[in-house]
Amino acid sequence: MCAQENITYNFFQTDRKKVLETLGKEKLIEALRKMLLIRNFEVRAESAYQMGKVGGFFHSYIGQEAIQTSCTMALGDKHYYTTTYRCHALALLLGVTPDEVMAELYGKVTGNAKGRGGSMHLYSDRLLGGFGIVGGHVPVATGAGFTLKYKNLNDLISLCFMGDGAVVQGAVHESLNLASLWNLPCLYVIENNQWGMGTAVSRAVCHQPIAENLAKGYGIKGYTIDGMDYLTCYDAFSSFYKEILETKKPILVEALTERFKGHSISDPGLYRSKETLEEAKKKDPIIRFKHDLLENNIITEDEFKEMDKELRNIAVKSMEYAENSPDPDPITLEDDVFAP
Amino acid sequence: MQEVELREALRQAIDEEMTKDDTVFVLGEEVGEYNGAYKVTKGLLDKWKEKRIIDTPISENGFTGLAIGAAMTGLRPIVEFMSFNFSFVAADQIISNACKQYYMSGGRFSVPIVFRGPNGAAAQVSCQHSHCVESIYGNLPGLKVVCPSNAYDAKGLLKSAIRDNNPVLFLENELLYGQKMEIPEEEYLVPIGQAKVIEEGTDVTLISYSRMLTFCLEASKKLKEKNIHVEVIDLRTIKPLDIATVSKSIKKTNRCVLVEEGHIFSGICAEVGFQITENCFDYLDAPVKRVCQKETPLPYSKVLERQSQPTTERILEALNEVLT
Repeated sequence: MCAQENITYNFFQTDRKKVLETLGKEKLIEALRKMLLIRNFEVRAESAYQMGKVGGFFHSYIGQEAIQTSCTMALGDKHYYTTTYRCHALALLLGVTPDEVMAELYGKVTGNAKGRGGSMHLYSDRLLGGFGIVGGHVPVATGAGFTLKYKNLNDLISLCFMGDGAVVQGAVHESLNLASLWNLPCLYVIENNQWGMGTAVSRAVCHQPIAENLAKGYGIKGYTIDGMDYLTCYDAFSSFYKEILETKKPILVEALTERFKGHSISDPGLYRSKETLEEAKKKDPIIRFKHDLLENNIITEDEFKEMDKELRNIAVKSMEYAENSPDPDPITLEDDVFAP
Repeated sequence: MQEVELREALRQAIDEEMTKDDTVFVLGEEVGEYNGAYKVTKGLLDKWKEKRIIDTPISENGFTGLAIGAAMTGLRPIVEFMSFNFSFVAADQIISNACKQYYMSGGRFSVPIVFRGPNGAAAQVSCQHSHCVESIYGNLPGLKVVCPSNAYDAKGLLKSAIRDNNPVLFLENELLYGQKMEIPEEEYLVPIGQAKVIEEGTDVTLISYSRMLTFCLEASKKLKEKNIHVEVIDLRTIKPLDIATVSKSIKKTNRCVLVEEGHIFSGICAEVGFQITENCFDYLDAPVKRVCQKETPLPYSKVLERQSQPTTERILEALNEVLT
């Protein structure tokens, strides 16, 4: 049963040309590099999975790169970040090396969490984790916002990414209520990739647009952004950040996006027609961004290919690093259950 | 020395630690303006203001997760559950986030947090407000579980819990809040993880914790009249379990009865009893017996409630069995 057939969005409007000019060549190329690193990393990591090098669950961020890349580029890495199990990209964006992430996927001691967390649980000083329970991380992110307010760290915010599937979890609603009630500096980003595993969003969420409607109930601002467009996302996140600092209220954002892969690696995506997927791939955020850069003579096709090749090599090298890293010593199994 | 109620001992522990460390704060339902459902936080809002004594909406999953996030980012929250039965609403946060975080993150994020509040039955509060949670949470590596039975231990253990860098479940008992005791005026700590022999004896070891010790001491007194000397142990901490103190006693008495307010199946007695067989099987002269709550939700009726829970009579019966 589908709740709605036609959804009218009020998209966040951006002067893309202006954003492009303001950002300048260096930052634009840096953004492209980051998105290409994520893409190449995910492709190689998936191949490692197929080779039997990676176990457990594996959730690819391919198709959604523009959102977290633009967000971290716009806001920097000093804020608190919290995300779902689809967390390889955010770790890479917050400075975790591809070697460290890949080694974690391989379950090696050199991995980001010493081989204890795996694909769904990656961290940095400011990344509180990939979390494995849908919606369960949203109160935690709200708590990071609480700390920032408690410590009067007024220029920092807590960013929380979640999928469209999380929106119907009670934890999310309780968090939004608390964050609004206590004026916590939180930016909640719903990455609506249209599917909660194999369930279409319209079969799970009773009323869309999600953020625009939901925000009203909590007395906060809600926005919809085109999550496939780097320039719009960059502009939007910069603007939301300023708005949070000014209003001291949290903001709820819905970034419309597409994942080009299944929910996880074991999902062949039979619920989605080939045509729908092909249509989605036309919106590829990297291709779109590349066109923007080509059109504005910021990069050439050859330079793009060269960059792609370089990043592929980095991803391949991370596989070698992971392969050559030692397994955790079984003697350490029971270490670190408790903090000292 | 000062004579205080157990609730006052807890209040002092919180107040002292808040004075010592400005990252310590309290949040929960009715902890502020209402002064606490059981008055443990009485007067703290006046002293520490809204920043550090925080009334929450009835939103356990939300505020528990929020507190965990605050703990991961440098604060030391004390979360009050009005009843530990309400912690079930927040079980995902406690289990998936608080208890696993340090290990799962390869030691990157610790969660220094105290969850405290009344556990188990009170007086006829019926099925949904009477559950003992210690065996449920005791099954989770990463959590510490503390169950004080008196004001002295309550204060010293709570101070240790607040200073601990791990999630600590601090289980109180509604019927003990008003219990008075002399405790020192000066500061002291009681370390987590140490059981205590509260009555020395030579004939049988009787092990329990929290409110059930009241009945254990009554049973011990009755046997003393028959010249049977019971050694009574207060576990004080369920996890990590101080099996050394338990073993030492059993090696002396060679007999043991365990008492638990909670259910018998997969309970704390099951665990401690098994560890006794692992550690001192050769010293036992009789099978270990346990007295626990019957396998029903705890009913409202006074008669049925008493029938379900351990009583002095049931404890005496078990003691007599292991002594023959």
